[in-house]
Amino acid sequence: MSILEVKDLYKNFGKTQVLRGISFSMQQGEVLSVIGSSGSGKTTLLRCLTSLERADGGSITVGGKVVFDPAAGVNLSKEEARANQLQFGMVFQQFNLFPQYSVLDNVTLASRLHAKERADYRENKKEILAQIEEHAKELLDRVGLLQKAENYPCQLSGGQQQRVAIARALAMKPAILCFDEPTSALDPELTGEVLSVIRSLAAQKTTMIIVTHEMGFARDVSDTVLFMEEGRVAVKGAPDYVFGEGATPRMRSFIGAVTNYG
Amino acid sequence: MFWQVTFSLLEGFGMTLTIFALTLLFAIPLGLVIAFGSMSRLGIVVHRFAGGAGEAPHSIAIRPISSLCKFIVWVIRGTPLMLQLIVIYYGPGLLGFSLLPRFTAVLVAFVINYACYFSEIFRGGIESIPHGQYEAGQVLGMTRTQTFFHVVLLQVIKRIVPPMGNEIITLVKDTSLARVIAVYELIWNAQAYIKMHGLLWPLLYTAVFYLLFSGLLSLLFGYIERKLDYFKA
Ligand SMILES: Nc1ncnc2c1ncn2[C@@H]1O[C@H](COP(=O)(O)OP(=O)(O)OP(=O)(O)O)[C@@H](O)[C@H]1O
Ligand SMILES: [Mg+2]
Repeated sequence: MSILEVKDLYKNFGKTQVLRGISFSMQQGEVLSVIGSSGSGKTTLLRCLTSLERADGGSITVGGKVVFDPAAGVNLSKEEARANQLQFGMVFQQFNLFPQYSVLDNVTLASRLHAKERADYRENKKEILAQIEEHAKELLDRVGLLQKAENYPCQLSGGQQQRVAIARALAMKPAILCFDEPTSALDPELTGEVLSVIRSLAAQKTTMIIVTHEMGFARDVSDTVLFMEEGRVAVKGAPDYVFGEGATPRMRSFIGAVTNYG
Repeated sequence: MFWQVTFSLLEGFGMTLTIFALTLLFAIPLGLVIAFGSMSRLGIVVHRFAGGAGEAPHSIAIRPISSLCKFIVWVIRGTPLMLQLIVIYYGPGLLGFSLLPRFTAVLVAFVINYACYFSEIFRGGIESIPHGQYEAGQVLGMTRTQTFFHVVLLQVIKRIVPPMGNEIITLVKDTSLARVIAVYELIWNAQAYIKMHGLLWPLLYTAVFYLLFSGLLSLLFGYIERKLDYFKA
């Protein structure tokens, strides 16, 4: 059974049709890269999946549960919507760390707030908080920033901030981790450290959807590459296929432009 | 004479402080209400699609709460506080109602006036927080309320401390307007010495009180700003 199944997803902004029938599915542990020229709808697709935006039509099924399908009258309750929200993690292009909290608090904040809703919170407050902190420290260690736990975001480089953002997203144990151009806001010399964290997550079979302009990276980290064109899936398949015989003329010129540019 | 004057001025300063403190106490919460009111999106959106070719589609939003709040803020910020004071004190009489007590009238005028100024500061502060902060809260499964109180609020406070400091120091000096409807604050008491004894120096002496108090407030706001200096937002 696939972890995510998207069928015929539509999204308009006013009169602009941004997504025009996107369909794909992915398996647990799979890494899916989404590439495509500017304005093709990549960000919008991620935002519809992560409930930051509501699609206009189509369906989304996560782990066998239909979470979006207006035509079939699917309407999640508040609790269900929140549970579904947590199935998806999101790493933003602009990091969006919380500036007033230390690195450690950035990673633990949401978990601590969630823990307050647990029935046994008052009884076991100490142990629960200790567990959350320990988990956060493990994650910071995984992104190589344990020694920065007490620093504030403004004291970190962009690459370090993005690695904290990855740890923060992982703290909620999402089923699917989404990245929207995680290195686009970084100086070129800082992209490597972020990409290598994502690589290590891929090696640990983390299910990920990665929107990126880093073609070489997409090619060697992904199980599947999806090329979007004007709100549609133009090509989808294994990287060798998509970058090889599967490539449409437009995709070839796009890749040429991106790689020459980079 | 010096001690007599000092004592009398202190009495007037007590009234000045009372107006100051009560105005802050009520104007800050009312300012928040007005700020949220003017940001309210409650209402209807009328879509009007383009008729001619090349004409962009546009829609008109009708948001009564927001419009009302913005109208009130426009009127209050666009007219002198002294005029508002006179209207609130004498206005009811013109309409055949009984007058408010002088002190109450002063408070009402000051609270409304300062609430409007504060509301604009609050609104600016809240709207200046990047949308990404709310979105980051949302994708981490935080509720809107949690995101506001745990993520956004302190960033807003950091941004509004300097303009609030300015406004509050202006309030210290604005309290002297209360004397136009004969509320005996600091300046009024000093002026009494001109009328009764022909003495000017008590009036100049009031500056010491204002300076000491606003100096104290500047120190306080400087302290808060430094406390919030540890992060950039
Ligand atoms: N909130 C919005 N309101 C109106 N139009 C929008 C909105 N968000 C996106 N769009 C439009 O939708 C189209 C697709 O945008 P999207 O951000 O999804 O593209 P993208 O593939 O992520 O591009 P890029 O590579 O530049 O990030 C664009 O034409 C954009 O102008
Ligand atoms: Mg984008």
